Amino acid sequence: MKEQDGPQPQERDPLIDPAIWRGMTQRRLSRREVLRSAGTGAGAAGLAAFLAACGVKGATTNQGAVQPGGVGSASWWDKQKLHHTVNFANWPYYIDVLKGKHPSLDHFTQLTGIKVNYTEPINDNLPFYAKIRPSLQAKQYTGFDLIVMTNNSPPLGYLMDFGWLTPLDQRAMKNFYANAGPLVKNPAWDRGNKYTMAWQSGWTAIGYNKTVIKNPTSVGVLFDKKYAGKVGMMADPQELGSLGLLAIGVEPATSTESDWAKAAKKLQQQKSDGIVRAYYDQDYITHLKNGDTVVSQAWSGDIFQADLNSKYRDLNLLIPAEGGMFWTDNMCIPMYAQNPKDAMAVMDYYYDPQAQAVVEYYNDYVCPVPAAKQVLLNPTGWAKQTLDAMKPSIGLPTSYTANAGTVFPTPQDIKESRPYYQYKSPEELTAWNNLFLPITQGS
Amino acid sequence: MEQPVLADHPGQLTGRGRRGRLGKALAPYLLSLPAGLWLLALFVVPLVVMLSLTLQTCNSGTGACVMTWHWSEITHQVSLYHSQFLTSFYFAGAATLIDLVVSFPIAYWIAFHGGAWKNFFLLMLLIPFFVSFVIRTVVWEFILSDQGFVLGSLKNAHLLPQNFHVLATGYAVVAGLAYNYLPFTALPLYVAIERIDKTVLDAAYDLYATKREAFLRVILPLTIPGLFAAFLLTFIPALGDYVNQQLLGGTNDTMIGTVIQNSFLTSLDYAGGSALSAVLMAVALIGIFAYARILGSRTIEEYL
Repeated sequence: MKEQDGPQPQERDPLIDPAIWRGMTQRRLSRREVLRSAGTGAGAAGLAAFLAACGVKGATTNQGAVQPGGVGSASWWDKQKLHHTVNFANWPYYIDVLKGKHPSLDHFTQLTGIKVNYTEPINDNLPFYAKIRPSLQAKQYTGFDLIVMTNNSPPLGYLMDFGWLTPLDQRAMKNFYANAGPLVKNPAWDRGNKYTMAWQSGWTAIGYNKTVIKNPTSVGVLFDKKYAGKVGMMADPQELGSLGLLAIGVEPATSTESDWAKAAKKLQQQKSDGIVRAYYDQDYITHLKNGDTVVSQAWSGDIFQADLNSKYRDLNLLIPAEGGMFWTDNMCIPMYAQNPKDAMAVMDYYYDPQAQAVVEYYNDYVCPVPAAKQVLLNPTGWAKQTLDAMKPSIGLPTSYTANAGTVFPTPQDIKESRPYYQYKSPEELTAWNNLFLPITQGS
Repeated sequence: MEQPVLADHPGQLTGRGRRGRLGKALAPYLLSLPAGLWLLALFVVPLVVMLSLTLQTCNSGTGACVMTWHWSEITHQVSLYHSQFLTSFYFAGAATLIDLVVSFPIAYWIAFHGGAWKNFFLLMLLIPFFVSFVIRTVVWEFILSDQGFVLGSLKNAHLLPQNFHVLATGYAVVAGLAYNYLPFTALPLYVAIERIDKTVLDAAYDLYATKREAFLRVILPLTIPGLFAAFLLTFIPALGDYVNQQLLGGTNDTMIGTVIQNSFLTSLDYAGGSALSAVLMAVALIGIFAYARILGSRTIEEYL
């Protein structure tokens, strides 16, 4: 039987976000403890060993600082070669689209000769993490050179904590260091951008049907009995719980466990009053679009894109007075990637203001590159051609995107943004989930 | 006549004889070996893994699980989710009942009046189910949406109140289950009814039975094993279903299948999910064994 212990706690950089603690949701047991408890439990350590061997293997312990010459070090990066192909896994509806193609990716291929296999397999952080984890444990290629993980959910912390991300080649981040905005440069969850570069940011706010609801201002609209049975909430415990905290007037980031209980009570009441229609994942937007719900928790760019694809354009986004929850999706290179150098090229390419301008014109999420605003206002060259070609399907001038607070937030917008609560211990994450998960799984 | 045993090869004949007897004795085992390996690899091993996971403590980050003989996980999970278990039994039972009521006349009609077209009618019954399970359910979600072309038009014609909805209710979930599992009820019932010797009906009429009596006292008793097989084949999968509730249900009708799916995929709580699966399976197995005791295991074998 192999040692089943997970990675051992190690000395941590105090600057590192507490998110890394999320990786440790259970007290780890030593092999001796396991066998002892097995012996008393069944009187047969052999059986225990057999049964334990049937379980799931733990993480490898290759985390920690970059070793000289190890994966991610300068000399390691020097040895990597371009393979002219890269497998990029992203979330659905998260990139510019024109006639079934992605112009920004095609432009990248033209410039570099690197072919991008762009797929959209990520619907949720944890399930996707669970899919790639067995490969990482076996020290094998996950099939992806580039993945996108959200900073408000445990897996990003897990991947960093267990050494499952390839440290980036800082020398190949020229566009990034020239153009990245203050929101995404040296962020709290990845100091020094050691492992990640932001793809897009956004708010979890409120989407509503403006033909039914006139000028709402507060999260109270989600608790309004007038819309009973027509309110959509998110099934994700992080999103649901944070909204509950906003609704009881508590800052999520500085909340306490007793606040969480109060928020859970408020959400439970909302459910038992018959206000909530259902707790949705990605499909909340379909139900908002086809009128099953008239108001719903929503991701900022989704509302814009939903209106693009509908003839009515009757959805609006509300960042409530209580604040909108702000998150960032991060590009990163999983360990054992086959084409890391190509992945670096893609990541840095998206910090070119022209490429970002094209992405945002379609996407309407928060742009990591402030200079893209000038491109949208006065496009030239390739960007102008592409934006002009996209205009008929978007139906709005590029200046609309340039002036949208959801893309280039004003200092006031930033002030109204709220960060998520960062779990200080594994027990806290469990406590949070035990409060908010049962609400979504009622019977 | 006894054969001479050669001194040079004393063991030859007896050896061949023993090998022959051994071969004969081994034959059934050798023949069942592929099936046995199949069961071992695809049923016993996963089952043991699942049961052992129930008693392990897992780290949701690393996925590392260690054996802790944590029996209380089972009671803990049942105390958290017993109402979802009850909902599942209630919904699966209702869906099975609907299926039995709906498919009995269909099966009866095809078996007795289908004539040369029997196979064609059976194919017609099955054709919708050539489309993937999930796609069929998603299409229902689309058809039944609040402002969709069915409910939306009825609402615009003021035949239904504006706040009327089918989706996000327990009724929608039961209807989805009944729809999706219909062939599992109809086919065993058809087999049972088709087997009935039609002359027994003539005999019943000769003995002055009315149509009603002939049905209740001849046809129905002869189809009972088929009814039970249909019940099992529909009820057991419906019990663990996790698609219909997610697509058609609302906030207060979560079935245990959805909870198990979320434990494994959303919370990565492998121990909790395994514990719930183990309980669900135990309950289902007890049901099957009870049924086998009451009606004899042969009836199951015949119709499954």
